Amino acid sequence: MIGEIAHFLALASALGLILVLIFNAFFYSADRHANQDILSYKLFHQSCLLIFISFGLYIYLAITDDFSISYIANHSNSQLPIFYKITSIWSAHEGSMFLWIVFLTLWSTLFINSLSFQHQLKKGTMLMLTIIILGFLLFLLITSNPFERILPFGVLEGADINPVLQDPALAIHPPLLYLGYVGFVISFSFITAYLFHGDIHYPWEKDIKNWSFIAWIFLTVGITLGSWWAYYELGWGGYWFWDPVENVALMPWLAATAFMHSLFASSKSNILKTWTLFLGILIFALSLFGAFIVRSGIIDSVHSFANDPQRGLYLLGFSGFITLISLGIFAYRLPNMQSSKLIVTGSKESFLSMNNILMLTAIFSIFLGVTYPLILEFINGDKVSIGPPYYNAIFAPLILMTSIFIMISLEALWQRGMQARTLLIAVTPTFAISSLILYFIWYFVQVFSLLAYIGIYSGLLIIISYLLKGAISLKNKTYINKGSFVAHLGLGLLFFAVSMNSILSYQKNINLFLGEQQFINNSISEFKFLDLQNIKASNHDVVSAEIFIVHDGQPIFLNPEKRKYFARGQITSETAIHASILKDTYLTIGDQLDDGSWTFSLQINYFIKWIWFSSALMVTGILMTIFKKKIS
Amino acid sequence: MRVIYRSLIILLPLIVLITYGTILITDQDDALVYFEPKEFPQFDLQDLEDREIDLAAFNGISLLNVWASWCITCLVEHPLLTQLSKNEITLIGLNYKDSQVKAKQWLGKRGDPYIFSIYDPRGDLAFDLGVTGAPETFLIFNQQIIGHIQGELNQEKWQSTLVPLINAATMGNQ
Repeated sequence: MIGEIAHFLALASALGLILVLIFNAFFYSADRHANQDILSYKLFHQSCLLIFISFGLYIYLAITDDFSISYIANHSNSQLPIFYKITSIWSAHEGSMFLWIVFLTLWSTLFINSLSFQHQLKKGTMLMLTIIILGFLLFLLITSNPFERILPFGVLEGADINPVLQDPALAIHPPLLYLGYVGFVISFSFITAYLFHGDIHYPWEKDIKNWSFIAWIFLTVGITLGSWWAYYELGWGGYWFWDPVENVALMPWLAATAFMHSLFASSKSNILKTWTLFLGILIFALSLFGAFIVRSGIIDSVHSFANDPQRGLYLLGFSGFITLISLGIFAYRLPNMQSSKLIVTGSKESFLSMNNILMLTAIFSIFLGVTYPLILEFINGDKVSIGPPYYNAIFAPLILMTSIFIMISLEALWQRGMQARTLLIAVTPTFAISSLILYFIWYFVQVFSLLAYIGIYSGLLIIISYLLKGAISLKNKTYINKGSFVAHLGLGLLFFAVSMNSILSYQKNINLFLGEQQFINNSISEFKFLDLQNIKASNHDVVSAEIFIVHDGQPIFLNPEKRKYFARGQITSETAIHASILKDTYLTIGDQLDDGSWTFSLQINYFIKWIWFSSALMVTGILMTIFKKKIS
Repeated sequence: MRVIYRSLIILLPLIVLITYGTILITDQDDALVYFEPKEFPQFDLQDLEDREIDLAAFNGISLLNVWASWCITCLVEHPLLTQLSKNEITLIGLNYKDSQVKAKQWLGKRGDPYIFSIYDPRGDLAFDLGVTGAPETFLIFNQQIIGHIQGELNQEKWQSTLVPLINAATMGNQ
């Protein structure tokens, strides 16, 4: 019964949104009366409320183990802790789409509520948001209904959630990522309404600045958590795989990053306005593209949901429809939008727009990497896999150029050009110090990899230039944008850590009998297989090994595990990790060979923790920017 | 700004849209068509542990799954294969264009659902079978290939195409 109520509420909400549209179709251009607007806003907010109640009831159904609901029966189990009963809702397509819509609605209703009644763009934004929510709600109800019952009788026990998904990081990784993806619906709808309205002098930037910053934070944290989860919990042994689904998350992130910078310049000097508008539309278009890629089953990925061309077509059509509306209005207004002011060569804006171009190049390269294999397969049936070599080769030069522009723009001024000589003199110390450090790294590491060294150098350029600038402003008590300072240090650190990780890390496969020990290399002088235990747990078998390692003279005990789950026969690896500031000792246990010995995979991963830290720095920087705005 | 540039803003996304739409509509290659049973080809290969292949495994019902450590989709279908190998069917692996070390590592890490994996680094046997890429799955009954699935083997394909074929084959036998 509760299932039907929840289903009914979702349908009612769709009806409410349709009414909002019909109502406004009649009254949009007619003589407006305040009551008409009040009515449509109320209807909109109440439709949103219905979705929240419906989702609340759905959570209740999941907690109370209503296995007559097909989706819950397939993805939950009565033995699960309540926490995982709730998270099982977003462990597959239907439920996660529902969550997506809930977040979409949440952002929309909050944003519309924040605009004053007289705001000239309030109505247009609301209508755009209504179309988007309605489109996804109908998608959910028509092609992927989470409320579907198993008739005539439900099952007694659910099929259980995939064990690798029983993890706190997974519980929060998708919601945060969705909050980020969906958060850009606000800038998208607002920009569309702004362009539609046609009053180009309206300072639209200030209304969505903080909303975009917050969405960016969610997106960044979501991506980082996903990467963290793959490394620590899934035992994948790495943090980034250029998997198509990771790529489609990275594209909106890059666009959003460019958008934030552009927004800053645009609100300051009204320059770069078309850039900013275009990027604002692009972010959400890329988010929609990501949703399509993941949910249509067009690619094979560890992330992808079940293959269903009908869903794919609906998503593609709908995403294309709203993106084209927005881009169409953009193209129509473009001639009026040309700023009378030109970008001054050598000004901060000029370097910002250079970096915008570089970011777009990066987005396009990733887009090509995702699309090319599909097109090739379509044309001649060949399956190719575009992996890290492609992306590394593309990204290294882009990163270097971006870093140089970041470094120079730090010295440049808003709206005023600077002499090439002055700029050159200002950045010379940074170049000198970075080159020196790079030389020392090469001297101590004695490994050469061009791409990795480009990455390290890029990271150093950013870090050193900001540190120098910080030191100077501290001494002369001049102004420095603290949020930007912290965020860019984070970016520099990210480039540095990722590149250092790629040249220093290594992997060893070890084959040992119980009680045996082995010399690995000068750094790991002893690797001893102490003990092996078979343990029976409630829903899985565990094989647990105890290993003793002497790493750089320091004794370490590690317990890698292997688990076999009864319900699905799935085997998971529980990696044993010993972490220090500089490196992780990462050990997984493999299979027992026929002669009775066991295989182990030992990885020494450098600078991993620095990668998470750099992401935290970037988020902190943006938080500082938002916070500073609130005070002033 | 010239009209041609402005129309590009609409045209480029439209091209992307149409491309993806076309790919999506024609992406039905994994559907199973009627399959003419044929002899399992002769081959001269060892398994991953360098042992001779026991041809007895090809008698009765078994599944031959083409996999490789570089293949991401193989990772996706791996849990189902593990489950099938446990309670329903004999599963033989065909390790396709892979390195022996990496293949063994992969099995070590994920678990080995196969009774053995034929090691086919150059894709000789795979060529004779008509394999176009990994993963692919062949249904074998008494040295005959009686079914073929390209792409990921999932619960749905297993239930809708392979199970009926198995039932038909074993019924006819009795």
